[in-house]
Amino acid sequence: MSVETATSKPAPAAPPGPGRLHQRPARPAHWGRKALWLLVSLIVVAAFWSVKIKWSALADFGPQLVKYLGLMFGPPDWSKFGEAFSAVVLSVQMAWIGTVLGILISFPLSFLAARGLAPRAVNWPLRVLFAVIRAVPEVVIAILILSVTGLTPFTGALALAVGSVGTLGKWGYESFEGVDPGPKEAVRSTGGGTLALIRWGIWPSAAPEVLSFWLYRFEINVRASAILGLIGAGGIGKMLTDNVQFRNWDAVGMLLLVVIVVTMIIDQLSGAVRNRLVNGSWRPPRSRGRNRPRR
Amino acid sequence: MERTGADIRFENATVTYPNGHAGLKGITLDIPAGQMVGVVGLSGAGKSTLVRTINGLVPLSAGSIAVGGHTLTGRGGTQLRGRELRELRSNVGMVFQSFNLAKRTTVINNVLMGRLYHSPAWRTLLGAWKNDDVELAMRALERVEIVGKAYEPAASLSGGQQQRVAIARALAQRPQVILADEPVASLDPPTSHVVMRDLARINAELGITVVVNLHFLDLARTYSERLIGMRAGEIVFDGTGAEADEAVFESIYGRSLTAEDVLEARAEL
Amino acid sequence: MSQAAAPSAPYMGQRPSKPRRGRPTAAAVVVLAAITVWAGLGVGVDLAAIGRNWQNAVVNTTQLLQPDYAFFPKTIPALLETLNMAVIATFIGSLLSVPLAFLASRATNPNAPLLGAVRFGMNLIRSVPDILYAAILVAVVGVGALSGIMALVLFNVGIIVKLVSEALDAEDLGAQEAALAAGATWTGANRSAMLPQILPSLASQVLYTFEINIRASTVIGLVGAGGLGILIDNVRSFFRYHELSLIILEILVMVLVLEALSSALRKRLV
Repeated sequence: MSVETATSKPAPAAPPGPGRLHQRPARPAHWGRKALWLLVSLIVVAAFWSVKIKWSALADFGPQLVKYLGLMFGPPDWSKFGEAFSAVVLSVQMAWIGTVLGILISFPLSFLAARGLAPRAVNWPLRVLFAVIRAVPEVVIAILILSVTGLTPFTGALALAVGSVGTLGKWGYESFEGVDPGPKEAVRSTGGGTLALIRWGIWPSAAPEVLSFWLYRFEINVRASAILGLIGAGGIGKMLTDNVQFRNWDAVGMLLLVVIVVTMIIDQLSGAVRNRLVNGSWRPPRSRGRNRPRR
Repeated sequence: MERTGADIRFENATVTYPNGHAGLKGITLDIPAGQMVGVVGLSGAGKSTLVRTINGLVPLSAGSIAVGGHTLTGRGGTQLRGRELRELRSNVGMVFQSFNLAKRTTVINNVLMGRLYHSPAWRTLLGAWKNDDVELAMRALERVEIVGKAYEPAASLSGGQQQRVAIARALAQRPQVILADEPVASLDPPTSHVVMRDLARINAELGITVVVNLHFLDLARTYSERLIGMRAGEIVFDGTGAEADEAVFESIYGRSLTAEDVLEARAEL
Repeated sequence: MSQAAAPSAPYMGQRPSKPRRGRPTAAAVVVLAAITVWAGLGVGVDLAAIGRNWQNAVVNTTQLLQPDYAFFPKTIPALLETLNMAVIATFIGSLLSVPLAFLASRATNPNAPLLGAVRFGMNLIRSVPDILYAAILVAVVGVGALSGIMALVLFNVGIIVKLVSEALDAEDLGAQEAALAAGATWTGANRSAMLPQILPSLASQVLYTFEINIRASTVIGLVGAGGLGILIDNVRSFFRYHELSLIILEILVMVLVLEALSSALRKRLV
């Protein structure tokens, strides 16, 4: 090739003087990084080594999967579609009520948990409470609430509400604290109290983000409501686990389709509204591509 | 000195953008190997399009461009694609206005991107570069006098240093041609001169053909042996810097010279 | 009132009429309230029940505050299984997610039909709750950790691919353009120009997924997919709240420790 000699000439000798830029540096060792990778690899290896799994079951997973997919979708059993539809509606209703109650509880609490809006002695217990709630799965919360309200959809909604308080509370105080200090100072300088500060200094800036979090939590609750069916709180989850238990695979296939379609529709709607709230447009922001090279 | 550049031949090269805007209107132009060419003109005159057609970043609508042994053609012709297009691109280095470095990774990794065409896929994916490639990248960094920063993240460098890393990346390709699309537009005047001197030195020492488009007329005059003036997708001037007088200027810019068009004047503002 | 200002009038000197932004907001509030009432009727909101049975809540809470520590040795195998499942699922899920994320981003995948197909597939995967995967996989591959791990992997791929491909969409494309201009393939350009840019957000997503997995792997045992969930299922059927309380405490400690660790790591990454 004619360019063979292009850069193979001897490099110019490094000139003397303050020429740190002219000297090839030694390759950094990155001991910390290597140690971290070693630790992570050890953990992964240890997990694979100690977990009790019959890996041989994977061998016929392919054929098994094909067989079950065939049972489920070839074709699905639409005879119980009416029942499934009302079950999925009930799940969505549980998710909605759970989200609304969660908002009602978490909204005032997240102001109290935000630094600068309430004394530290109030901030910290609330933050710990949010963290504790976040750590406990919704099903476990539902098991606890069970004894109070019995095995009803309302129990499920309450469990979702309590679960929502953990995340909504945290997201809430984080975005209240993240608000640009300019408007806050402006309200303070006019002699406004804490309520005025919240209404005019914080809420206008934080509102789009917070409203979008509420919707996002609703999306999460729609999924979580299906889990609550497991312990008998009703809804699509109960119908699904029942049918799996009795191996009515064609009904399971139908139920899965219903869940997928309803969840996707809700996600699309909620996603569009969230984009509208945050970016002012119903569609997601476009990638910042420009002058895209073509193949 | 041995010249290792490639010649570039535009034959009725035409670019029409999807919105109907004409980027290039049937340009015919011959750039001999090893020449340093400055392209000047207003923004939107087509100078960026001219430079970007040479490595196929902007595809031709009609006509052809021959670069070394390869020919780019417009639609309908046998358009270069896939491996052939990449081979042409590997022979053509490019320097961008906004440096286009991966800022979160090291300088040396950025320069090694110039070796991607020559590296097998598995080496690319694992980041296991050949020692020869690393050596080549180090030499390229030495040539732009910034090798000391090899293992620093690109983000920690100043704008001028980043552009020199970008030049090193182009050099690591061992190119026959280097294209520079407004290489100094994001830099202050003293740094602009450093970067332009680097490009001129590479052209002189390695004989690489250099096509650089510039907003500032005085920079183009100082550093290029040949000046091409563009206006509305057409070449309106082709000559040496000395020949580019006030009248020529008016034909390129459609008005008389202002402080905005000269780097030194802007520096005083 | 709503007299239109003449274009030539001194615009800034004139009081404009108040824009009627209130109407859509009021409409939205009415719609939301209607949905809430409808959902409330469907769910059977019964706040009075809480009033009637609050003593139960008190009893339960006091039991919960007294974990049965003697139960701890019996939970160890399930605890370890939960951790193992979470680690393995995070590992496999991340490995699968990275290439898929690159295929699912407009910035890194120039092939429009493939992009659409991958995105649709990912939406599909994400719309099924983890517990349903677990329930079905238990039937397909049998009771135990394997079905749990597979369910978690599916769940993780959905999350990581979505978040990482969004990070890719927002990334600056300059370096990628430069790599392509140097003759790189799309794979090569994405690997060397885009991957380093999103590495911090990828790492933080993986940590986040690990956290979620710990939480989720405690639940999917309810359908027989291994881990602490199986224990939860046992103790809940007999209302052994002291033991449930210990399990909750264990989950709590694991999740809080992890959250602290990952937030410390995340600070160093970004």
